Amino acid sequence: MAAPVYRKAILVSRKESPKGYMHLVIREEQIAQTAGPGQFVMVRGWHTGDPILPRPFDIVLADPLKGIFRLCIKVEGKGTRFLSTLKKGSGLYVTGPLGKSITEFDSAGTALLVRGAGAAAVVFLAETLAKLKKPVYTVLSASTKSRLVCRSLLEQFSTDVFIATDDGTEGYSGNGTDLLDKLIEEGKVDTVYTCGAHRFARHVKALDLAGKVRGYLFLEGNMGCGMGDCHGCAVKKEGKDGYALVCMDGPVFRSRDVVVE
Amino acid sequence: MAGAGIEDPGQQVDLSVDIAGVRFPNPVMPASGTYEVDEIHDNFFSPSELGAVINKTIFLHPRPGNPPPRIWETPCGMLNAIGIPCDGAEAFIRDRLPILRRLGPPVVVSIAGETMDEWIELSELIESTGMADLLELNLSCPNLSEGIPWSTEEKTLERVVSTVVGRVKLPVVAKLSPVVTDIADMARTAEASGAAALSMINTYKGMAIDIKKKRPALGNITGGLSGPAIRPLAVWAVYSAYETVKIPIIGMGGVDGPTAAIEFLLAGASAVAVGMYNFIDPFAMKRTIEGIRTYLAEEGYSSVREIIGLGHG
Repeated sequence: MAAPVYRKAILVSRKESPKGYMHLVIREEQIAQTAGPGQFVMVRGWHTGDPILPRPFDIVLADPLKGIFRLCIKVEGKGTRFLSTLKKGSGLYVTGPLGKSITEFDSAGTALLVRGAGAAAVVFLAETLAKLKKPVYTVLSASTKSRLVCRSLLEQFSTDVFIATDDGTEGYSGNGTDLLDKLIEEGKVDTVYTCGAHRFARHVKALDLAGKVRGYLFLEGNMGCGMGDCHGCAVKKEGKDGYALVCMDGPVFRSRDVVVE
Repeated sequence: MAGAGIEDPGQQVDLSVDIAGVRFPNPVMPASGTYEVDEIHDNFFSPSELGAVINKTIFLHPRPGNPPPRIWETPCGMLNAIGIPCDGAEAFIRDRLPILRRLGPPVVVSIAGETMDEWIELSELIESTGMADLLELNLSCPNLSEGIPWSTEEKTLERVVSTVVGRVKLPVVAKLSPVVTDIADMARTAEASGAAALSMINTYKGMAIDIKKKRPALGNITGGLSGPAIRPLAVWAVYSAYETVKIPIIGMGGVDGPTAAIEFLLAGASAVAVGMYNFIDPFAMKRTIEGIRTYLAEEGYSSVREIIGLGHG
């Protein structure tokens, strides 16, 4: 694993897309040069006591040549609201890259089943697979068309993108898992990564246990440090006593290895 | 910054302190369970620069820890209900303790027992390794049904501390809970029972409610509050114990840098431990060591020992 750094980094740009989601581009060369798909950073943009803890975010993309990386944050609490109002040129403290990078890309076809902010987690993986000329099919789900996250990036890197909305405002009207099942039936994918919905995780785990695909989950947890100190981000191991830590053992887990709520 | 021929006066300051006959090269260490010695942390600074190192509390037998959510942010602090997951004493002694021993600074081994027999067995086991310098008794974890009572009832505290002290030659550090009527009384009891030093304080028991889920925020319902939110309470605990006991105190509770650490030293702590702030700033302990050195140089002290308890006038 590449050595993480703790640095004061610079916010290069920010852009809201779609409403409620803020894309932050941050300059920190070492993180940009060493980050891999699946990894995350801990970010703190404040010296305050409230909020006080840094926040974990998946690295959406990293550009080693420009020394920048991108995050996409769902603005919903104190910390994310604060980060979403930082001006271009602001300093923020970043620790990373953290977590295990995905290193196996031997699948014949990969599906990414994502919803909401979960879409941000798989963009880096989609880009990596595209560079390796591996087929990657994305099922992008949201409640409605205006809440589709990281759509253009996923369209850029995916062999094909299938949209599912709950209200039918775009694409398939219904559950994204139906679209995934179709891809599997057609024999296009043998590996699935999912993020952003418990029901997706349950579905992928069932497929994995049935031997239909290799299923992987991007997990999150209440995380204080991101590097194994606080033991906050525990996830129950399947079939065993004890817990794995999202920050150290993940954030990407084989679905059959962990208990899904 | 030292220029050509100009000595940095800070380098002349003696930062070493004595905790129960064990020399700490400087007065800053991690609080148990908040800092891992591993490759990741080596990237930030070497743990060999610390005043002492300490493990996450171990029990005799493996424990899974509490169900998530285990942590919850609060104003100027956090609640945790980790529940001390551990692989048990055997794995600790085989896999972790030798790594701590090789670093250089004194090794404080933090232990806890679920029964009196376990306290005895674990203490003797750690002593038999010859790899510990101090034995810290975690008598005060608020997240264990068996934890808090050890240091909240005077008779129980006396029984555990005096029993362990009677069984081992290692100096024993009693880590006290602040959730008592008067912590100075508990400090006096620990001293009278043979404790060679005190760690104070452990976290305060508290809770938070997740208003979206309309349920307690932590899986364990209650947790221990730490961070700068509890610092004035912790400084008072150290200050009042210092007036009562002669044994050295390791002060902790919301240390986020040198200013807070110096506050504890002035209140009477001989060393300080950084806890939650290790999560926020991986350099917090290094920053604290350097800041104490700078403060002492600027204030004209040649040794950190000169300011221990100075706040009492």
